[in-house]
Amino acid sequence: MDTPKLLVVMQLILNILHNHMIIVLLALSISMNYYLLKNFNIAQAVVITFGAYLSYLLLYSFHQPLYIAIIIAIILSVSIGLLSELFIFKQMRNRKLPSFAFLVASIGLYTILQNCISLYFGDDTKSLNIGEIAVGHQIFGAYITTVQIFTIAVSAFVFIGMYLLYNYTTLGKQIRAVSENAEFATIYGISSNKIILIVTAVSSALAAIAGILYAYDTNLTPTMGFNLLLYGIVAMIIGGVGSFRGLLLGSLLLASAQNLVAYYLDTKWMDAATYIILIAFLLWKPLGFSGKKLKKVEI
Amino acid sequence: MEYILHLIILICFYTMLAQSLNLNAGFTGLISLAQAGFYGIGAYTSAILSVQYGFPFWFNLPVAMLLSFGVSYVVSLIALRTVDDYFIVCTLGIQVIIFSIMNNWMQVTKGPLGIPGIPAISFFGFEVSSKISFLLLSLALMLLVWLVLNNLVNSGFGKSLKAICEDEIYTQSIGKNVKQLKVLSFTISAVLASIPGALYAHYITYIDPTSFTVNESIFILSIVIIGGMGNLKGSFYASVFMILLPEVLRFVGISNSDSANYRQIIYGAILVLVMMRGNKNLFSFLQVQNPKVK
Repeated sequence: MDTPKLLVVMQLILNILHNHMIIVLLALSISMNYYLLKNFNIAQAVVITFGAYLSYLLLYSFHQPLYIAIIIAIILSVSIGLLSELFIFKQMRNRKLPSFAFLVASIGLYTILQNCISLYFGDDTKSLNIGEIAVGHQIFGAYITTVQIFTIAVSAFVFIGMYLLYNYTTLGKQIRAVSENAEFATIYGISSNKIILIVTAVSSALAAIAGILYAYDTNLTPTMGFNLLLYGIVAMIIGGVGSFRGLLLGSLLLASAQNLVAYYLDTKWMDAATYIILIAFLLWKPLGFSGKKLKKVEI
Repeated sequence: MEYILHLIILICFYTMLAQSLNLNAGFTGLISLAQAGFYGIGAYTSAILSVQYGFPFWFNLPVAMLLSFGVSYVVSLIALRTVDDYFIVCTLGIQVIIFSIMNNWMQVTKGPLGIPGIPAISFFGFEVSSKISFLLLSLALMLLVWLVLNNLVNSGFGKSLKAICEDEIYTQSIGKNVKQLKVLSFTISAVLASIPGALYAHYITYIDPTSFTVNESIFILSIVIIGGMGNLKGSFYASVFMILLPEVLRFVGISNSDSANYRQIIYGAILVLVMMRGNKNLFSFLQVQNPKVK
């Protein structure tokens, strides 16, 4: 293999790794929610966007230092997730509505909040990286920016943290118990409402972190969250719900496919490639990599 | 006056779209987010056939319906393997794929540039170019679609669809071919959605992919939900409401650039409220004092 080709391969691997870690974060956030509540929450797309836009607002309008801006942005995004849970989804759960109702209501909520962002910030593209142009570090000739390294580190850290939380702590055990059978868990004295709130908070925080990291790497638009959320959903479905190894594999497959399609065909076919993978999986391997049973797919 | 006619024509289009989706979403219980995709297939087929090959509308419309049938049949074989929210996500994916084909297949669809100069409809020498004659044509087609759907819904076929929505396994146990019925309902709904698509292309005379996005699908779905699932008349009222809403906002004094956002906020709020209460539609949501009778 001659050197330019090796360079391209290296660059592709680095890009895939970076994309992979962002999608892992998103998929983790969505699957935590889905595994527990068994319905999709499209409104999480807005939590992603909010995280990014709030840090933009705090950085450039209120001139806060970076770490304070990010922490406040995450806290505010989490509170949006919690409020929507308390005032909308909890009420709906009490009424025992079918799962499509949750999805449609969350689409409605997403529409409201996304348009609020559009009204306040405008529809134009914004950038979190004003002024400083990152030179990037060289690894075997391929370039990677500091933000990307940071993204990979944070995602890996969060992923391992969540893995430990789910598998080795009492809280993780309680979450899994409520996911398996909420009523039975209540009999054993686990408050399912409390668990749902905790999981909503954590998954909103993950979504906000993913949004901020993504916005730092590229830029911000009011609709950025929707596409990111869908990538997360696709990664979760092809990985299999409730399996950490599956999530990792699913995100890796998705990120590789997106980058390879972007390199060999064109970036504009990335979304189509994403969904073709989803449909292929629903056709031939509807339970995803992990093969865990799920009632949603019947063959 | 011209503008009022324009609004009425739009109401006709959206009534057709919402009613065709209602067959699928309201009666069979298959909530699809791919409706704008089939709308777009209708529009693009008709536009390409008339601009590049000079075919007349009465030829384009059946071809558009046929193509929509073919695509929706293949899609239904894939999508109907999933249920509930997986089905919604799956149709969302199909919508994105159809959109990216329209947006990126430069040779055929001209991508984001769109297709300009679509000729007016003409029937055997009689040209439908004025607003009023176009209105009559769309009204006629809307009534035809309504009639077809109304008959379908009240037929044995429609009753089977309702049975699937209520209890799929039970319907299967009394000897109905559930799979086939679902495929039929999905394809009929897609074929009917391509009719307003073809009309739209000839009416606006210019189409580009941005008219057929996911947001458009969500808009159509919200018309169905506001009007009531399984309520054809409701879909009509709801599209009147949704098309006239921006005009009302204009009277309130909201600037044109913001009015799209406010409109979306309002229908988002309606979606949340209607779904939250488990109401059947906006009208029953407004009658809070009546307890829900099951």
